[in-house]
Amino acid sequence: MANNYLTSESKKLATWYFTFAAILFGAQLLFGLVAAIQYVMPGFLFEILDFSVARTVHINALVIWMVFAMMGSVYWLLPDETGIETVGIGLGKLFYWVFVAAIVVVVLVYLFVQVGPADQTTIWFIMEGREYLEAPRWADIGIVVVVLGFIYNLYATGMKGKRTGIVTVLMADMLAFAGIYLAGMGYTDNISVDQFWWWWVIHLWVEATWEVFVGAIAAYGLIHMIGAHRKVVEMWLWIEVAMLFGSGILGIGHHYFWIGTPEYWWEIGALFSALEPLPLVAMFIHVLYDWGKQQGAQEAQGKEVSVVTNKPAFTWFVLQAFGNFLGAGVWGFFHTFPQVNLYTHGTQFTSAHGHLAFFGAYATILIGMFYIAVQNKNGIKVMKATKKSIWATCMIFGGVLGMTVALTLAGYVQVLVSRAQMGATWAGYFDGQAGIWFAQGMDWRLIMGVVTFIGFIILIKDLLSIGSATHHER
Amino acid sequence: MVEEALILQDIHIDDFLTIFVSAGLVLVFGGFYVGIYTAVKAELLKPWIMPFAYIAWLCTAYCLYLMGSLMHVNDFTAKTLVVAGLSLLLIPHAVYYMLRRVHEENEYIHEENEEYVHEENEQHVQAKNEH
Repeated sequence: MANNYLTSESKKLATWYFTFAAILFGAQLLFGLVAAIQYVMPGFLFEILDFSVARTVHINALVIWMVFAMMGSVYWLLPDETGIETVGIGLGKLFYWVFVAAIVVVVLVYLFVQVGPADQTTIWFIMEGREYLEAPRWADIGIVVVVLGFIYNLYATGMKGKRTGIVTVLMADMLAFAGIYLAGMGYTDNISVDQFWWWWVIHLWVEATWEVFVGAIAAYGLIHMIGAHRKVVEMWLWIEVAMLFGSGILGIGHHYFWIGTPEYWWEIGALFSALEPLPLVAMFIHVLYDWGKQQGAQEAQGKEVSVVTNKPAFTWFVLQAFGNFLGAGVWGFFHTFPQVNLYTHGTQFTSAHGHLAFFGAYATILIGMFYIAVQNKNGIKVMKATKKSIWATCMIFGGVLGMTVALTLAGYVQVLVSRAQMGATWAGYFDGQAGIWFAQGMDWRLIMGVVTFIGFIILIKDLLSIGSATHHER
Repeated sequence: MVEEALILQDIHIDDFLTIFVSAGLVLVFGGFYVGIYTAVKAELLKPWIMPFAYIAWLCTAYCLYLMGSLMHVNDFTAKTLVVAGLSLLLIPHAVYYMLRRVHEENEYIHEENEEYVHEENEQHVQAKNEH
């Protein structure tokens, strides 16, 4: 990325965020591979990098790289949407370095300190022990300060410049995104109460605020990549926001089935979970419809060329619509009702859903944003795919899909053996994992994980070199 | 007084595969329904294909019924599934209606603007010639 056509400081900051996000994405895959190997060879790195540590880094890196890429995406689109430079960009840059430093220290502590004395020292300086949000308390407070700075940048710019529908949605959404994080910071020694608030962060991030965020990013992408009408796209965005919040907020009920909360959550969870796939279907129509409409209008004028100005990015945006529908929709619907969730809860079924949903709904569109940044950074008018971008897309998407299928098969064995036949007993847990189908499922998950990781390396090579390819229109 | 407890009825072991497959197919058929409906409306597919969209929705409804009955859902959840099925049927119609209206409005404004610009240009040229 030698050439630099970026004049906006906000966009430059966005590329810093994207770069660190890509590094963490690599770390996520690497530590995921370590954990996958440990399922096949349990002695691998025993007492050096145990499964618990590898898994912690794997899932925390996932959350943090996505948060970095999301913040980068907001800094990227703010000048385009508001028509002005981001207000307080110096503060944004300062907080970027604070955030990076904090993450590096947290990861080093995870890797080299690993465990603490199981008292307040551990919670404050090593880890809090809540899945996905294991950052120690000092880092929690740091994250809140950094995000407050980010919110200031967003609000000050939104209020000073032009406030489009996309910016308005993002202003509301990012405030909710930041505010909900506070719910996961308290401490209680009652595990049910703790889980109750912890799910506020996890569920309301992933199935409400993050989904709305990708809706806004998809809207921005459709306007900038295929020239879709802003008014149509923004109307869609508002429909999606209403549907996502309408079904997503109380959809939290499907996490409250078995944590000690009252039984009425079964009914609430079942009702809103059944409605949750509908906005995903709507988002799927959104992309299809706008693409078809714009391409049709182009062809009606006798122009056969594609309306898409960034092929690799648009491919990832389309994969987002498809992956979100498949991972969050289909794989979520498999086990969203309490009647069947009783059997699938905590099996590899959940893991299969988690892998495809996080990847399909979020990783895809954020990779698309990386390509949009590369296009603009290199002053390219129409960016076309390279062999590397095609290989990377196929290997990453195919790899994650393969992992999902393998985990689903392994989970199915657990449902039948560990739960249905042996009634979720201690012996049932081990018998389920001793089965040949489970073992082969884990083997295939590892193989497909390697495919994904190779795809990631090709993706990085492509992101670094595609800007200098000569077949683009400049 | 003993409080009434909600009890989940066990699922028969042979029914799990059917439940998972039918749950998956609910959205696969639902996707076909929405995809075909949208593609026909956007004139990417011929109108005679539209009945297949509704056949796909019927398959969705059947899968919801099959999944629900094998899972032994209670009355409330059964009603929920009916609402979800009907919502899936109606949402593409509602969304398409709104989309078409916004597109028409936009295209009308766009055409009106172009006409206005064209008239202004003509007047400008005429005035220039007269001058």
